[in-house]
Order: sequence, then C-alpha cells, then structure tokens
Amino acid sequence: MKDTNNESIVDPCLPGGLIPAEQWELPQTSVRRSLRDGIRHALEQLRAGVTQAEEPFESMDELPELSAAQQNRLAPEPDYSDQARAIASSLEKARAAGSLSRHVVCLVAPPFSGLQPALARFPESGHSYSVESGGENWRIITPPDALAFDDHEASAWWDKQDLSGPWVIPELADFWLRQLSGLALVRELFRRIANGDTGAGIVGCSSWCWRYWGQYLENVQMSPWTTAAMDAERLGVWFTHLASVGGITSVTARTTEDGQYVLPLPEADETGKSKSRKKRKYSTFLRDLAAVSRGNPGVALAIWQRSLRARPDDDVELDDTDEKPAQRRGAAHCWVVPLSGLSLPSMPQSKESITGFILHGLLLHNGLDAVSLEAVTGVSSYELSLVLSRLKRAELVACDPKDELWRVTSIGYPTVRRHLQSWGFPLDQF
Amino acid sequence: MIDDLGIKDAFASITGQALLQAALVIVIASLITIAIQKTFPRIAEKLGGKPRLYLLASVPLLRLLIILATIVGVVPILVEPSFENMVAIFGALALALGFAFKDYANSLIAGIVTLYEMPYRPGDWIEVEGQYGVVRAIGARAAEIVTPDDTIVIIPHNKLWNSLIANGNDGTDNLMCVADFHLEANHDVSRVRELLRDVAFTSPRTKTWQPVLVIVFNKPWGMHYRLKAYPFDPKEQFQFISELTARGSAELARQGVKFVSVPVTVG
Repeated sequence: MKDTNNESIVDPCLPGGLIPAEQWELPQTSVRRSLRDGIRHALEQLRAGVTQAEEPFESMDELPELSAAQQNRLAPEPDYSDQARAIASSLEKARAAGSLSRHVVCLVAPPFSGLQPALARFPESGHSYSVESGGENWRIITPPDALAFDDHEASAWWDKQDLSGPWVIPELADFWLRQLSGLALVRELFRRIANGDTGAGIVGCSSWCWRYWGQYLENVQMSPWTTAAMDAERLGVWFTHLASVGGITSVTARTTEDGQYVLPLPEADETGKSKSRKKRKYSTFLRDLAAVSRGNPGVALAIWQRSLRARPDDDVELDDTDEKPAQRRGAAHCWVVPLSGLSLPSMPQSKESITGFILHGLLLHNGLDAVSLEAVTGVSSYELSLVLSRLKRAELVACDPKDELWRVTSIGYPTVRRHLQSWGFPLDQF
Repeated sequence: MIDDLGIKDAFASITGQALLQAALVIVIASLITIAIQKTFPRIAEKLGGKPRLYLLASVPLLRLLIILATIVGVVPILVEPSFENMVAIFGALALALGFAFKDYANSLIAGIVTLYEMPYRPGDWIEVEGQYGVVRAIGARAAEIVTPDDTIVIIPHNKLWNSLIANGNDGTDNLMCVADFHLEANHDVSRVRELLRDVAFTSPRTKTWQPVLVIVFNKPWGMHYRLKAYPFDPKEQFQFISELTARGSAELARQGVKFVSVPVTVG
C-alpha cells in the first residue's frame, strides 16, 4: 500500500494521501505494546466497579507543560484549507491514474481525521471539477435545520438542491437522525447517486455513520476512499509540517525518560537507509503514538500536544512572545513525555448500556445537541444530563459552545472506541 | 464381598495422618473451586462482550480440572496406587454408585459429558422443558438457570439424555430476538416490511451488522409479521423486544394499519 502512495508522502498536509478504504491498514505496533494495552484496558474495566475516580487525562511527570502560545507554535491545529488542497490534488491524481472513475466520490474517515473541516473549505481550495463541468467551482450542500422528513418531503428537499454541478457534502452524518423520520434524506441521496441523477460530487462521511449506512443499504456499493493511516514516519512528517506553519523550521523533540530522539526524523540516504539513525538513538514514541491513535491524525495530535514539555531552561527557546527575531524562531527544542507516562481519559463507572447508547449516538451523528441525543438514544433527559456531565468531567465528551453540540473529544476517542467494542456496540472500520 | 474385592487390603495402610492430609487437599481444592465460582462470574460481569463469555465458560472447565487434580492427589495419599488397589476402589465405587445413587451418578456422568459437548455454558440463554433463562452456573450434578422473572431453576444434567435443549446464543453474544405483529389484512405489505425494518435499524440496541429480517405470513385472520434482529447484549433481549414492539406498534398505528384482536368469550 505504501509503495503505491510514495508520491503522496511528500505532501506534508496529507501524508499518505487518499487511498481506497479497503486498502486502509492499522499502523503496526509491537506485541509488547498490544499486550500492555490489552491488560491495561481489562484492569480499567475491573477497576471501574471498585474506584470512583473520574480522572481526565493525567500526566505522571513534573515537567512544566507548554503554555497555550508555545503549544500553538509547536503543535498548532492544522490549516484545513491546505488539507482541502491536498485532498483535491490527491483526487485529481487518482482520476488521472484511472484508479478513480466515479462522478460521486465518497470520502470516509474516522472522527478527528480533519476530513470534514477540509471538505467544508473545499470551494476555497481553488480546484474545479474541470472534466465535465467546464471548470465550475464546488458548491457546499448544507443540511436542513430539521431532519424529520418522509420520503416525499425528502425528495422535494433534494429537488431544491443544485446537484447538477460539482457539489460537496462535508459530513453526511449531519443529514440524518437515527429515528424513523430521520432516515429519508440520506436514503434519497443514495438513491439519486445510484441512479446517476446527480452531477459530480464528493460525499464526506464519518466512518461510524458510513458503517451504519453500509449495513442499512446493504446493496449499495460506493467504493469509498479514505485518508491513509498515519504511521510513525507520516506522523513525524506531519508534526514537523505543523510546527513549520507555526514559524518553526526545525523541531528537536526528545523523550524526558531517556533523551532518545522523537524528532527530527532520521534522514534517509539514496539507498533509503537511515543515516542519522546510526548516530542518534531514536525512541519508539511515534510508532506507539500511531498505534494508540490507530493512525488517526486528530487523536495523535491531541496526545502529542499533551505530551510536549518544556524544561525551565528551555523557555528561552520556546518563548511565548512573538517578538523574537525571525532567525531565533527557526529552531525549537522540546521534551516529550513517553506514552507510558501519560494515561488517556478513563471511562467513569456508570450503566454500560446508557453510556454506550450516548457515546455511540454521538459518534454516529458526529455530535448531537441534547434534544436530538435524547430522541436518538431513548435516554431520559434527566439521566442524559447526569451521564453527560460525568463523561464531561472525565474529558470524554465536550459541548461546543458555538453550536451547542455534544461531541466525543479527540483525546478521549481511543478510550471510547475501546469501551464500545467491549460492550458489543457496532464499530467503524478504522 | 468387601474382602473379595480387596477393599480391606487397599485401605489397610490408611493412617490418621494420611486421612488428615487427604482432607486438607480436599478442603483446599474446595476453597479454590468456591473462589473461582464466586469471583469469575463477578469479573465477567465487569468485562462484557466476548471476554465475559470466555471467562464464564472457563468456570466449569476449571472445576473439572481441579476435581481431577484432587483425585490424582488424594488417592496416592490414602492408598498405594497399585493396579489391584485401583481396581478394588473403583470397582467398589461403581457398585455403590450403581445401586445407591443411580440417578445421581447419571447426572454426574451427564455433567462430565456437558463439559465436553457443551450443549450449554454459563451465560447461554437456554430453554429446557419449557423453562427459559440464562445459565448462571454449571454444577457437578445440575445447572442453574435464572429465568426472566428472577427465579432460579435447577436443571439436572441427565435431562441431556432425553430432553430437547434449545440454546439461544450457543456460547456467543449473538441472540436473535423476535417481535411479533398481528395485523389486519388489506394494507401495503412491502411498506410495512420496510417500516418494521427501519424500526429495528433505528433502535440503539440493535446489532446492525447482524441480519435484520421481516418475515410475513398470510393467516386466515390477517397478516402475521415477525421482526427478527439481534440486540447488542443478550441481557437486553426483553427491553429490546419491548422497544421494537412499542415503536413498531406506534408507527403502524400512525400509518393507519390496524391490529387484529381476538374476541374474548366468557364461560
């Protein structure tokens, strides 16, 4: 898989590029790490009934964390416009290579992969669908305010949307609710796509939502594409790129435990073998991070941000102010707490099924307000608010003040996914 | 007859100390068995999913191993393990069991067969002679099931020989549930089938990766629909069926499809 996408690795905004979803592979990890994670998860479940602790993300070291400004420079949030350009370019390459021939492309990715915000900026990417549409710009299709439709109303709503030119749905999960009157819009959209009633388009979809609809519409074959999983090398390239956006040209990151290097990545010579690896000792941090985050860039970035440390004497190099001369802002040194020194948020003790309904509902819909969540899960508003507040204290969910939507947090996503798996809930593919 | 079997000779060498040692081994084995039977189900309850089923299934297996280990450990303490002594002891045991505890021995042997064939395991939902419930424990002689009404039913293992045993999930966490709908005729059958399928798919308890089926039968009194789906946890089956029935009924009523009702006759 990697070999076929080598050319995309050079794009630091989207390392690995886009690949057909069936080629997606979980980043590899050591047997030791897998065993340790498995045992830790089992112990967490057993402890859940014994201790009442609701600990959010916890660090076991005493080094000072980076300030918000330092973090913003060293590990800022990605620029999704760049990602949109990278996605557009990747799609163009795939079309040119003949590996992608459908007019309507479904891009499926796990939550926090950055696909949704990137697709929301797709019209700004400057790319146009030039083959049939004569260079028309992409149009964003936004969901209606209320999602309860019967089949006729859904058909009438789609009739009003202009799907003849290039169109983008950044997140399909925003177009449905898991209740009887909430399925019609997506059902009708897939019917139109299958019939070829639409022009060129891109459907972005959360992997959880996609899994549900793949099971609901068992005969629909959309051959979705996805972003390649972030392995250690891609994470290194991406983190370096993010720091460069923050004005830092070279990052040196070493583990607090033994001083082994995390960044910069070992340089490769002409034969592809590492030159610097011979001189420096490199940590397995990035490989472990790729495994813990299941190759999910948003999750990996959240853990990376939490693991970065500055030592008091490093303040000079990672100053908060932006008044430093440009030449002094070129390089940055920081320290990284190994993953064994950090613990991801843990699941608070509560009724498995209700917690599971809520978390699964949030992932299926890519976030919901309290009223919709109540309708989707069937959990009473009183119990819902209790469970949500516990999950919020445990840093597993958060309410976005802008849209009042509850969402699973990126740092809590690995814990949530693992527990949903243990409780027997349907999972996504990634 | 005891002399003929050589029992007297076999037990001649038993001393008070040997008896004490044997008793100690049996007590320790019993304590370990009790500890396993108490702690494993508790741990399993916390784990959920497949690990829960594996842990529950390991309880009777471990108990069998402990029993075998205890026999292997105790017999040499009490008697010299020569061929003659073994024949004498097991011959006498067989006679005693054959005459005095025929049914008990029957159940014990069936219990061993149960461990090997595994027609039911702890955590399975089974029905034996009209009693439905989840297997809570498998003892040497009988299995305990807990019915949905929280009643414990003891089922001797010898039912295995001549009774039909229905197992709903057979060692897995996949248990199909069925919600029945009895409707008056003269409605759009395919629309109702679609609607009932949606009812299952929109339930947060449904395992959507397992089949969701709507079967319909034409009966003299109307149409009989059976909505079949899997809940994510077999323990949730009754809430699941109730939820499917309630939501399905409400939606059918909203669509104007009527239920059939049997007139009640008194006397």
